[in-house]
Amino acid sequence: MALIELKNIHKNFIMGEENIHALNAINLTINEGEFTSIVGTSGSGKSTLMNIIGLLDLPSLGTYDLDGINTTSMSDDDLSKYRNQKIGFVFQSFNLLPKASALKNVEMPMQYASAYNNKLTDEMIRKMALDTLEKVGLGSRIHHLPNELSGGQRQRVAIARALVNNPKILLADEPTGALDSKTSEEILQLFHDLNSQGVTVIIVTHDNNIAKRCRRILRMNDGVIKDEDNSGATR
Amino acid sequence: MIFRKILVNSAEAIVENKLRSALTMLGMIIGVMAVILLVSVGTGAKRYITSEFESLGTNVILIQPGKTDKKNSMGPPVASSKGKLTMADVEALQKNSQSLSAVSGVMFGAGVVKNESSTNNLNILGANDQFNRIFNMTIIEGNFFSREDEEAGRRVAVLGYTIKENLFGSGNALGKLVKVNESEHRVIGVIKPTGDKLGFNIDDMVFIPTKSSLRLFNTDRLFGIRATAKSRSGLDDAVKELTEVLKERHNGEEDFTIVTQVTMMESMNTILNMLTYALGAIAFISMLVGGIGIMNIMLVSVTERTREIGIRRAVGARRSDILKQFMIEAVVISVSGGLLGIFISLLITYTLYFFIPGFDMRPPFWIIPPSFFLSFFTGVIFGVWPARKAAHIQTIDALRYE
Ligand SMILES: Nc1ncnc2c1ncn2[C@@H]1O[C@H](COP(=O)(O)OP(=O)(O)OP(=O)(O)O)[C@@H](O)[C@H]1O
Ligand SMILES: [Mg+2]
Repeated sequence: MALIELKNIHKNFIMGEENIHALNAINLTINEGEFTSIVGTSGSGKSTLMNIIGLLDLPSLGTYDLDGINTTSMSDDDLSKYRNQKIGFVFQSFNLLPKASALKNVEMPMQYASAYNNKLTDEMIRKMALDTLEKVGLGSRIHHLPNELSGGQRQRVAIARALVNNPKILLADEPTGALDSKTSEEILQLFHDLNSQGVTVIIVTHDNNIAKRCRRILRMNDGVIKDEDNSGATR
Repeated sequence: MIFRKILVNSAEAIVENKLRSALTMLGMIIGVMAVILLVSVGTGAKRYITSEFESLGTNVILIQPGKTDKKNSMGPPVASSKGKLTMADVEALQKNSQSLSAVSGVMFGAGVVKNESSTNNLNILGANDQFNRIFNMTIIEGNFFSREDEEAGRRVAVLGYTIKENLFGSGNALGKLVKVNESEHRVIGVIKPTGDKLGFNIDDMVFIPTKSSLRLFNTDRLFGIRATAKSRSGLDDAVKELTEVLKERHNGEEDFTIVTQVTMMESMNTILNMLTYALGAIAFISMLVGGIGIMNIMLVSVTERTREIGIRRAVGARRSDILKQFMIEAVVISVSGGLLGIFISLLITYTLYFFIPGFDMRPPFWIIPPSFFLSFFTGVIFGVWPARKAAHIQTIDALRYE
C-alpha cells in the first residue's frame, strides 16, 4: 500500500533575482515497509525532498499524500500532528536540545503527543523514553547532556527521539555523515532492525556501501530522480 | 502539550539561563518595588498628616473675618479689611448657639516676653477660658484661664512649655511675673509640650485672655473665632446655626468665612491623594520600563533559541505550544520578579518601622494584589509579541538557523 505518494512536486527558492529549482516535477511512491535510500551529488535536492516528505517544508507545486491523506492543504496544526504521530526525523547534525539530558530530549515528542492522547501520564512518557533509549543502546547514559556524549551516542539519542512515538516513517538525512564507519555500521544496523519491525525507512546518504544495502536506491540529480535501482541487496 | 508541562519547561528554561532571567526579573523587581514604596510614601504621609490633624482637636470650626469666593480653601483666609469679628460676636455665639460646645475669640500677634533671665520673641495668642477645650490642650502646671480672668481682662498668662523653660528653667513658674510687651502678667499655667504640629507649635506660644490681648494690641478687631461642635455629626448643623447668628449680627451680610476641620481635611486629602496618584504614575512608568526590559530579553531569547523552536516544531509542537511556552516564560519571570519585589518592599518598610517606629512607611495591604496583577499583566502584555514572533518562525527556517 502506498504510504508516501508525491505527484509533480516542485520546490523553488527565490534568492533575490535568482529562482532556484531545487525540485523539478518529482513523482514518487513509497510503500509501507520499504527501505529506501536517496543518493546524489551535493545540491541535487535530497534534503529538500526529505524535508517535504517529513512535512518540515511545503512544496511550491504538486500534491503529497501521506497515508492516503493529502497534506498539501492541511492546516499548520495538522502538519504538526502528523510530524508528531507518523514521522520520525533524524538529522545529520543531531539537532538535540543542548541543555536537556538525553532522557529529556527523548521525552520531548511525547509531551507534545500528550495533546492528542490524554491518557499519557508522565510515568508512561518516562517509561517509553527509557525503553527507547535502551533499544538504541544508551540505557546507561540517560542523564548525560548532549555535549557529554560522543557523536555516535548523540545520534542514537536523536534516533531514540525519532522512534519514541512509534512512527510509521523514519526519515534520516545523512544520519552517519558525522560518524566513523564502525559507528555508521551500528546505526545502519539499527535502521535495518527497525525496518524489519515494519517501519518504513528512508535515508539520504553519500555512502555507496550504505545505499547498496537498501532494497531501493533513488538517484537524484538537479532536482529530479534520475534512475531507480531496485536491485539493492537485502539483509 | 498540557499547561503544566509547559510550565515545567518554562521554569527549566529560566533556570538554565540564570543570569539572563535574574537580570530580567530585576527590572520587574524594581518596578514593583517602586509601585509599592512610592504608594507607601504617599499613604504614609497622608496617615501622618491626618493623625496630626486629628490631634489638633476634633470638630474644630474656624471663623475668619472677610469672605473669599474660593470654596474649600486650605486654611483660613488672611484677614481682610472688609468684615470684622468682635468680642460681641463671640458672646452672641456663646449665648445663642445650641450645637457648639466651646467658642473663643482669638487674637494673634508677634510680641516679646521677658523676665530677668530671658527675652523671647514669639507669638502671643489671645484666647478665652474655652480655648483649651477646642484644641485639646492639657495644662500640666496650674490652670488655664478662668471665666473671671477673661471677663475682667486680667493680666495673666499661660506659657507654652519651651517658653516656660527659657524663662524659668526647671524652676517653678506659677505666680511669677513676666513682661508681655512691657506689660506685666502673672503666670497661672503651663501647657503640656506637644511639639510641632503642621508647622504650628503651641510650646513656643504665650496665651493671655482675649480681652487682655485686645488691650495689648490696642484694637477691637479679633483675628478670628474658634469653636468646636458638640459632635462630628453635628458639625454641619453647627456651621448653619453659626452662620445665621453671625449674619443676623452683621446686617444680613456674610462677611466672614467658615472653615471646618472636616472641609480642611477633605481638601488636604484631595492634595494627598493627588500626591499618591502622582507617585503611583511615576511607579507605573518604572513598571513600563521593566516590561520593555522583559520584551527585550524575550526577543533576544527567541532569536537565540530559534533552533530549539525548529527542533520542537519538527517533533510536533504546534504554533500555539511555542506561543504558550514563551508567554509562560515571560509571565513566570515577571510574576516571580513581582513577588520578589513585593517581598523586598515589605522587608524594607517593616525593618525601617521596627528600628524607627516614628517612620511608618509600611505599605497599605490593598496595594499588594494590584502590584501582583500589574506584574502579571506586564508579563502578558510584553510577552505576547516575542512569543508570537517565536510561534511564527517557519519550521525549516528555524532548523537551518545557524
Ligand atoms: N532555504 C533555501 N534557500 C535557498 N536555496 C536553497 C534552500 N534550501 C536549499 N536550497 C538550494 O536547493 C538546492 C538543493 O539543496 P539541498 O539541500 O536539497 O541539496 P542536497 O542534495 O541535500 O545537498 P547535500 O548533499 O550537500 O546535502 C541547492 O542548490 C540549494 O542551494
Ligand atoms: Mg542535504
